[in-house]
Amino acid sequence: MKFIKLENNDELQANLFSFAIHLALFLVMIFSVGWQTKTPYYGEVELWDSVPVQKKINKTQATPKKKIKQKQNTKVQKSAEAKAKAKAQKEADIKLKKKKAAEKKAKKLKKQKAIKELKKKVLKQEKIDKLKKEMLEKEKVERLQQQIIEQQKIEKMQAELRESELKQQKKPALEGEDEVKGGVNTGELNKYKLLIQQKIQQNVNQQLCGLDYITLEFRISLMPTGELLGQPKMTKSSKIKSCDDAVERAIIQSQPLPLPKDSGLFSKLKNLELKFHPNGVE
Amino acid sequence: MNKFLHIIFAGFLFFSSSVIHALEVIEILGGKASQIPIAVMPFKSFGAQKDIGKINSVIKGDLGRSGLFYPLDTRGVAASPNSDKEVNFSQWKSLEAQFLIIGRIDSIQKEQIKVSWSLIDIYKQQTVLSGEYVGKNNQIRAIGHKVSDKVYERLTGSKGVFHTKIAFVEKYNNQKFKLNIADYDGYNITTLLDSKMPIISPRWSPDGKKIAYVSFEKEKPVIYIQEIATGKRKLLANFKGNNSAPAWSPDGKRLAIVLTYSTNSQIYLINTDGSDVKRLVRSRSITTEPSWSPDGKEIYYTSNQGGGPQIYKFNLESSEVSRVTFEGKYNLYPSLSYDGKLLLYLTQDQGKFKVALQNLQSNQVLKLTKGPLDEAPVFAPNGHMVLFVYKNYGKTTKIGTVSINGLKIDPLPLGSRQVQEPAWGPIKN
Repeated sequence: MKFIKLENNDELQANLFSFAIHLALFLVMIFSVGWQTKTPYYGEVELWDSVPVQKKINKTQATPKKKIKQKQNTKVQKSAEAKAKAKAQKEADIKLKKKKAAEKKAKKLKKQKAIKELKKKVLKQEKIDKLKKEMLEKEKVERLQQQIIEQQKIEKMQAELRESELKQQKKPALEGEDEVKGGVNTGELNKYKLLIQQKIQQNVNQQLCGLDYITLEFRISLMPTGELLGQPKMTKSSKIKSCDDAVERAIIQSQPLPLPKDSGLFSKLKNLELKFHPNGVE
Repeated sequence: MNKFLHIIFAGFLFFSSSVIHALEVIEILGGKASQIPIAVMPFKSFGAQKDIGKINSVIKGDLGRSGLFYPLDTRGVAASPNSDKEVNFSQWKSLEAQFLIIGRIDSIQKEQIKVSWSLIDIYKQQTVLSGEYVGKNNQIRAIGHKVSDKVYERLTGSKGVFHTKIAFVEKYNNQKFKLNIADYDGYNITTLLDSKMPIISPRWSPDGKKIAYVSFEKEKPVIYIQEIATGKRKLLANFKGNNSAPAWSPDGKRLAIVLTYSTNSQIYLINTDGSDVKRLVRSRSITTEPSWSPDGKEIYYTSNQGGGPQIYKFNLESSEVSRVTFEGKYNLYPSLSYDGKLLLYLTQDQGKFKVALQNLQSNQVLKLTKGPLDEAPVFAPNGHMVLFVYKNYGKTTKIGTVSINGLKIDPLPLGSRQVQEPAWGPIKN
């Protein structure tokens, strides 16, 4: 906090100093200083735009006959000279003033020009900034739009996924989707699971399974051709021999089972657990 | 060393469990009401009469009538194998056969034969059942039915009914009636009672030794119980009014009967010796056609208490009455399957009388026949078939069987006999 105060004081001092200098310079400009050693002659002077009179004066100085006149003339001449001097001085002052005024004007103009340029620059900068801002804004909007699109895509995908999950819940497997999980196309996997399910289901003779809600489980191993590798292994019996046999026959009868050519997918399906509910589920 | 074995065992367990988890699971719901394709080859005859070899047609008829089997036409097949070692399995697979029955008949003595048979599983490529029966030449059909029963039980899990008897009433010479007993397929008919008066509602006792029936010989309906073996009979119910609709209790000790003793038709219980008569349902409406549940705790019957005829049940312990049928405006003639899970009755559907089957668990109703004038459906003792009366487009009345999947309706080969009121006897142990 203290450090900031000190810094502020320095700035204030600098500003005051700058102001004083400028004031001094201003005063100098207003009350200009004559740099001659002689005291200036003060008299009335007519101001003309041009100075043709000077030539006439030069002519009178060339006439030596009339002394008094000459004296008078000398006086006159002197006063004229003084006058001329004053006039010249004045003219010089005027010129200086004019020059200074011109300079001032020029400075002013320059300043104005600079201001104009600055303004122009500022405007340009503003324009650039505006453009930049607009661009940024546009970019932002675009990014936002992109984000929205992405979000929408994600939402769509999520919805599809949810739908597929729902479908999967309803059906043991479903076809069509192409999500890749662990290097395996689950859409394809589900498609083949559905095909296997349909083929076996058509061969299950539910009449041989009574009327109760029963469940049977079998494990099977398959060859790439879809043929069974060995006999189906019953892991859970329905406790109805005819039903167990009928389901086993249905599995055997369903050969060859539809299997994918892709080795990765086949490896997922080569060993299967089949759960049967011949009379549906409660 | 032990530690090392433990590590190996643990590793094996881990590996096997990971394999189990990696298995893809496929759930398979439901199935089809399909028929098992089965080939029954003619039995080879060694010294026996040639036509005896046609036993295969008896077996084919039995299995086909059940509605659960589809007997294949084997006429194009050149040679019948003698054992499963001679079976060309790929040939049978191409015929879509799942099972094959082969057999031989040897003449062992004068008029005595030995029938040897095998049931071969085409998919498993092995014999799954085989047997031998010895009998007389004229028992060839009975032997065929026994083979069918064994095959049926092995493949369906339910006892076969091909060796059972049925009873039915035959009307002849316009005004005469016979109570006949026959094989389930209509063969080997014998007459138990010949009467000038109508006979209705024959019902087998649970042991299959007696039949209760309603006779009009006393110029009104009365109930008799008759022994099949001796032909001896006794009058069970001859009360005031009509005596009808006898139904044996599962233990065979009592019968539910219908009397019009006090008012309209009401159900009563009566002991087989005619004692202990008591009214079952106290109702102003008609209650008739009683049928026992297999556990003997409930009696299903027809009543018009709700307006039109519907089926109700009466709980003998709680005396509670509840309605059972709700589909259709006209349901009557109830009977229950041996396991009590299915209710069979007659329903009026779009002006036609059809045989209907109701699953008492799900209350789903399946109409087994198309009508238009079906009558008196009764279950086979295994609950897999139904015997009923149907009119052949108004010309003749026939008795036929229908499988409970509705896939097979088969009239009994009774020729031009006018038959009615069938009843299916129990399975003899």
